Amino acid sequence: MNINVLYRPGMAMAKVELQHGEAIRAEAGAMIGMSTSLNMQTGMTGGLGGGLKRMFGGESFFQNTYTAHNGPGEVLLAHSLPGDIEVMEIPQSGLFIQSTSYIASHPAVNVATEVGGFKNWFGGEGLFVLRATASGPGQSVVFGAFGGIQMLPCDGSLLIDNGHLVAWDTTLTHSLVKSGSGFISSFLSGEGLAFRFQGRGRIWIQTRNPKEFGQSIASRLPPV
Amino acid sequence: MQFEIRQKPDFALARIQFDAPGEQLLVEASAMVAHDGGLAMETQMQGGLLGAAKRKLLGGESVFQNTFTATAPGQSLWVAPGADGDMEQVILNGGYDVMLQSGAFIASVPSVSLDTQWAGAKGFFSGNGLFLLRASGHGPLFFGTYGGIHAVDVGPNGYICDTGHIIGFTSGLQYNVRKLGGLKNLFLSGEGLVAEFRGQGRLWISTRNATGLAAFLQPFRPRKSN
Amino acid sequence: MCDPRHTGGRVCLWFPDSGESMQHQITHGPSFSMLRVDLNPGETLVAEAGSMVARSESLQMAVKLNAGGSSGFLSKVGSLLIAIVRKFIGGESLIVNHFSGPSAGSIWIAPAMSGSILHRRLQGEKLVLSSGAYVASVGNVDVNMKFGGLSSILAKEGAFMLEVGGQGDLWFNSYGGIETVDLNGGTYIVDNGHLVGYEGNLQMTMTTAGKGLMSFAASGEGVVCKFSGSGRIYIQSRNVESLIGYVTRLLV
Repeated sequence: MNINVLYRPGMAMAKVELQHGEAIRAEAGAMIGMSTSLNMQTGMTGGLGGGLKRMFGGESFFQNTYTAHNGPGEVLLAHSLPGDIEVMEIPQSGLFIQSTSYIASHPAVNVATEVGGFKNWFGGEGLFVLRATASGPGQSVVFGAFGGIQMLPCDGSLLIDNGHLVAWDTTLTHSLVKSGSGFISSFLSGEGLAFRFQGRGRIWIQTRNPKEFGQSIASRLPPV
Repeated sequence: MQFEIRQKPDFALARIQFDAPGEQLLVEASAMVAHDGGLAMETQMQGGLLGAAKRKLLGGESVFQNTFTATAPGQSLWVAPGADGDMEQVILNGGYDVMLQSGAFIASVPSVSLDTQWAGAKGFFSGNGLFLLRASGHGPLFFGTYGGIHAVDVGPNGYICDTGHIIGFTSGLQYNVRKLGGLKNLFLSGEGLVAEFRGQGRLWISTRNATGLAAFLQPFRPRKSN
Repeated sequence: MCDPRHTGGRVCLWFPDSGESMQHQITHGPSFSMLRVDLNPGETLVAEAGSMVARSESLQMAVKLNAGGSSGFLSKVGSLLIAIVRKFIGGESLIVNHFSGPSAGSIWIAPAMSGSILHRRLQGEKLVLSSGAYVASVGNVDVNMKFGGLSSILAKEGAFMLEVGGQGDLWFNSYGGIETVDLNGGTYIVDNGHLVGYEGNLQMTMTTAGKGLMSFAASGEGVVCKFSGSGRIYIQSRNVESLIGYVTRLLV
């Protein structure tokens, strides 16, 4: 399997080249185009329980598996907002990924909703945290962002604004804090909640904030 | 006429420079970014009232387009599409036509004629109110999209593309719209309809789907007050 | 230099003007530019509200009104009224954040609309920016709102422009990529939503795009800015109004 990211950083697309017999599992709706030699199957990974848990987690209920049954082929995948895509080999400790950033992964990767400890992170925005675990080395996950993707190494502590988080190492500990000093300050400042990460690990952020973009543009669309 | 497409693929815009007075460019309404003050701009309904209405009702293009005419050599003009994304140009030479998704048209010279092509029966772009424009003739044609523009040269193996990502294709290709996989896949897969292209030609697909953008913005829209 | 007796209500921040720019980095340009500024103890970065991506814990954030450069109570009230009017018409937010700390720290800033961020080291010159283009500044940078006159009300975004001057570092942004048009005599017309700013010896008037009311509505171009003189014009390759039009057409 070979994954190339084209049209970076703004309109990035993952071009996945599969050898005969290889497969990739992707978010529903992520497919742009593909070779006629590929076969697509829709499935509930992990059985009914897995599917329901994923639906609760904000990830789409079903994932599609693209398999090169009749010789090699390619499938093109992307997310829906302008931005970059990163392909990351999952470390042994696993990766946390913000639910709307997940695009695709190696079929042997387990992607599940992480319930504990993240309850208030996104304050009712319908966003959740996924944990991606590999069953062996060399298994990758593909995630997409709104804007560019920047990896910030954390060695100590770092405050990240709500809305800019894409993915981070599970080796980091985290807590939810108010961005400014005092309640009024946080409310007026435009900065809401921030996440304080501590420890050593990598954090991937996106350089744009989907909620801010959504509010500023959609507020001027016809009402629904 | 000289042109350059800059800032590809994220925020592409085209800078066009006229070489001689009298040269003209037909530009989609609201695609103008800036222009030399000496250019004459006329708003007109191309193809007469009936032609314009046909284009609006069926083609999705706004009725009004602007024609820019150079009054001196070296005058310049900048055009860009409305959404974040890419632009591409083809110079038609009479050897093939370009079928373009109606929302993708940005500009062309008067010697390129635009005609609407009914695509509803085949299920293309179903539900989006978008149709196909057939561009034929000679000269430059500029188009743009939400997303990057990825060209696929389709050969004997054909190519499958999600219908929401089709920008355009050359007239040597035929397409067949279907659902991908079985009945279960239609409802559950999250993939809409796909078009399978066969023949020989070029297919332009966008790396983003405008419906995906609209769906993202939906929850942020203001609510109607009763 | 600042004499506390003459500054009225404004806090005076004095920076030795060594002529060197602030330690900063602009990454992910030209499409998704993000600004990183490394502040020394006591230095303050002023940034548009809502633009912070990340910061070191050592920096504190304080909320301020974007009151402009003039000091004194009455001018603050005047600025507040202008800021409120702007909030209704649209444009830059009312609030800015001041980031500073007793020890050094880094801050990452990104504007709401995607595009480029440009840096200018201001040394007394003036720059006019459209109200959405201000990102951040450090130093004695004056940001004064300039009302464009009645004809500019039609152009929601253009009703207020910002006149920026002073000494210090300024960062401004574009929606989309930035292109420059250098004018040396003649005239140039820029769609109002595509204007980032301008400087030099330019005269700018706002008019409607076509001749007469019919062509104004029909041509799809709203208000345009007509430039004459000599100077530099900054244009951006996207326009928020056009994006809203694009999405609205998808909805019907």
